Amino acid sequence: MTSITIPATDNPAHHPDPTLQGSGRQWQGRFEAMASPCEILLENVNEAEAREALQFAARETWRMEHKFSRYVAGNPVDRINQSHGTPIHVDNEMALMLDYAAQCFELSDGRFDITSGVLRRAWKFDGGNHLPDRSETDALLRLVGWNRVQWEKPSLTLPDGMEIDFGGIGKEYAVDRILLDLNRILPEQASVLVNFGGDLACNGPRANGNAWVVGVEDHKKLSDSTETLSLRGGALATSGDSRRYLINNGVRYGHILDPRTGWPIPDAPHSVTVAAPTCTLAGMLATFAMLQGGEAEAFLQEQQVPFWVQRS
Amino acid sequence: MSFSNWFTRRRLRQAATLLTISATLAAAGCSNLGVKPWERDLLAEPDMQLTVSGVDAGLDDHIYFSKEASSGGRGFGGGGCGCN
Amino acid sequence: MQLINDKKNGKPVGRALATATCALLGVQATTAMAKDQPGEWDVETALLVYSETDDRVQAAEPVISATRNFDGDKKLNLKLVADTLTGASPSGATPSDLVQTFTRPSGIGNYTVEAGEAPLDDSFKDTRVAVSGSWTAPLNRDYTYSVGAYGSREYDYISTAVNGSLTRYLNNKNTTLTGGLSLGMDLIDPVGGAPIGLSRMALRANNTEAQFDQEFAATRESDDTKTLVDALFGVTQVINRRTLMQFNYGVSYSSGYLTDPYKILSVIDEAAGANYGGNLIGADGNPIYLYEERPDTRMKHSLYWQTKYMLENGDVMDGSYRFMVDDWGITSHTIDLKYRWRLSNSYLEPHFRYYMQSEADFYKRYLTESEYNGGVPTVSEASADYRLGELTGMTFGAKWGYRLDEDRELAIRAEYMIQSNDGDEGFGKLTNHDLYPDTNAMWLQLSYNF
Repeated sequence: MTSITIPATDNPAHHPDPTLQGSGRQWQGRFEAMASPCEILLENVNEAEAREALQFAARETWRMEHKFSRYVAGNPVDRINQSHGTPIHVDNEMALMLDYAAQCFELSDGRFDITSGVLRRAWKFDGGNHLPDRSETDALLRLVGWNRVQWEKPSLTLPDGMEIDFGGIGKEYAVDRILLDLNRILPEQASVLVNFGGDLACNGPRANGNAWVVGVEDHKKLSDSTETLSLRGGALATSGDSRRYLINNGVRYGHILDPRTGWPIPDAPHSVTVAAPTCTLAGMLATFAMLQGGEAEAFLQEQQVPFWVQRS
Repeated sequence: MSFSNWFTRRRLRQAATLLTISATLAAAGCSNLGVKPWERDLLAEPDMQLTVSGVDAGLDDHIYFSKEASSGGRGFGGGGCGCN
Repeated sequence: MQLINDKKNGKPVGRALATATCALLGVQATTAMAKDQPGEWDVETALLVYSETDDRVQAAEPVISATRNFDGDKKLNLKLVADTLTGASPSGATPSDLVQTFTRPSGIGNYTVEAGEAPLDDSFKDTRVAVSGSWTAPLNRDYTYSVGAYGSREYDYISTAVNGSLTRYLNNKNTTLTGGLSLGMDLIDPVGGAPIGLSRMALRANNTEAQFDQEFAATRESDDTKTLVDALFGVTQVINRRTLMQFNYGVSYSSGYLTDPYKILSVIDEAAGANYGGNLIGADGNPIYLYEERPDTRMKHSLYWQTKYMLENGDVMDGSYRFMVDDWGITSHTIDLKYRWRLSNSYLEPHFRYYMQSEADFYKRYLTESEYNGGVPTVSEASADYRLGELTGMTFGAKWGYRLDEDRELAIRAEYMIQSNDGDEGFGKLTNHDLYPDTNAMWLQLSYNF
């Protein structure tokens, strides 16, 4: 196992250096980003190409993390959130993300909303039993709603007190971006799988023609992956996190909040995994399904995509 | 050739009325009609193009050009044939 | 892996989301059609066989059209059409109680029409070859231009044209404005020269060959030209996710030789008596036929409206209406309806077209003796060409297409047209004849695209 040194300027969050393992023409790179273990599996490439790919992937992922995280003071998201209602000019990449968020808002009838994060102030999904007051969530709802935002490319005006975050898009977007870039950088015959904490995409089957075998986490057994899936191309993404819920009077409240009510979506599955051509699409379909609550399975059936839904 | 009498007043009025109507419709169209870029999936299908087959249209135009007094409309009326 | 949302009546979440995601990532949609990919030729080929009833025009017409797409939405189209035509076409003369003998347009030989039969000129044999090319490319984000050229040749006619258009996108490309101009120059060189308008057709009967030659030559002038200027202005508007609409206004000005050199008129006897309504017989004992004469300019205006609509089940409706008016006094209305019934790998498309036109101011089914006025006609223009008369046409057709794969399609199309004329029924003996026989035509087309 070798460590790859990344200049500190390219590692603003001071993550540990990425590590590369493997031999011959089969390599596995690991690093951390976006609060997840990130993994790049490479086949049909030599060590030098693997090193270059991993180095690129880590730097680029950290760049995106730094740019789209809501925790980094002074980054573009923070500038928007601190704008107090003054128009902010954004760059092209950010504009594409905002366009996409706007489209998702419309397509989900307002259920998917990048301004809904402020609702977390009222909800603590730590396995405890505290339910907020209706008045508390109602007050926060006044700060929620993409329709209150003025978005006229490239200028965004976010009303004072509101916040945006790309929690539901950023990681999946990064997976697709890295895979697309590695496809370009690496020789044509390279087989690549990019896996960021279970959201993953590959450029085709493995070098030997077999499918990639992917574990799907079972929410009842937090540590080991029990079910496995075969993936010959495209992407998988999962929405939902079995660790984030609260129980009050025997009722389980999942962490998926409805930005139209301020309360958790009733009957939301514990997790939804979707297979689709791109990770971003798989992730968004999974998120849309979660937001459908009890209708999640019916919704996914209608989209004609392979999916796995976990309920208790 | 004289341009002064090429058109009777009545026909001019007819044409002007139709033009006004179509211009009004078109102007009204610009204000709130249309779709977002990601809603173009159906319009992008080959079957939704205004002229699905240029070859079919060309052959039919040629037949009607040689059998009728009118031509064009969809595109240039043109000539290109001694058949009329 | 493809995302298909075949429940098109529901909210199209899957497909729309897939499109949106592709926009975010800057990649081609995986559901995108294989057509329009840069670096490939898309080729359309077709063979049309056209046939009119009663031994009239028969034609075969092969077409090949190839489009090459280049990076950056640039496109080159080349098209080659050939057609071979044989058969007879109405000369414009009226049927008669007499056996009628006409001089062929070339002056070489005669053709004879039996009493009571519609006079058809059977001298038509022609081969036409037409080539055209166009180049389309964006100027910038909001403008696209297109330039093209056309040329065709048949034994008595050469046609050339150049055209250009500019397209402007507005409103997120929901509104498209197009302006275009086409300039054409045609050369008409009829066999034996073009006849002088309203001159009398020389006939061999009761004449020596020398007398005939002299008379025939006196009716002839040399070749002639025609120029065409077409301007078109169009607005295309996306109405909603499943509706598209287009409005066009076109103006077309042609000048020069607009007459049909092969069309004639009969002169009818008005004198009370046995020959009332029969062919007027001249001093030489022959019936009198005059070559037609049309104005030397024509200004046409057309308005065109088309709508395409995709139904909830994915079928496509296509309807259009065209209004045309010109300074020859012709007004026409055209309605065209298609319904594409889409099955899994194939489609069936019934088609209906209705056409109606009023007659040209100078249209005359025949000329009377007094209009002929002993060889100094009182009219300066006259034509008995049924295509300038009051006319109604209906076409019924259907197309069936089968998609072999994403690129290749095989299709067969059949159309049947019934055209009927109406107008002045004449007087005397003329009323015994059908002056306006219907024209029925059908065509069959086989297409293969790859």
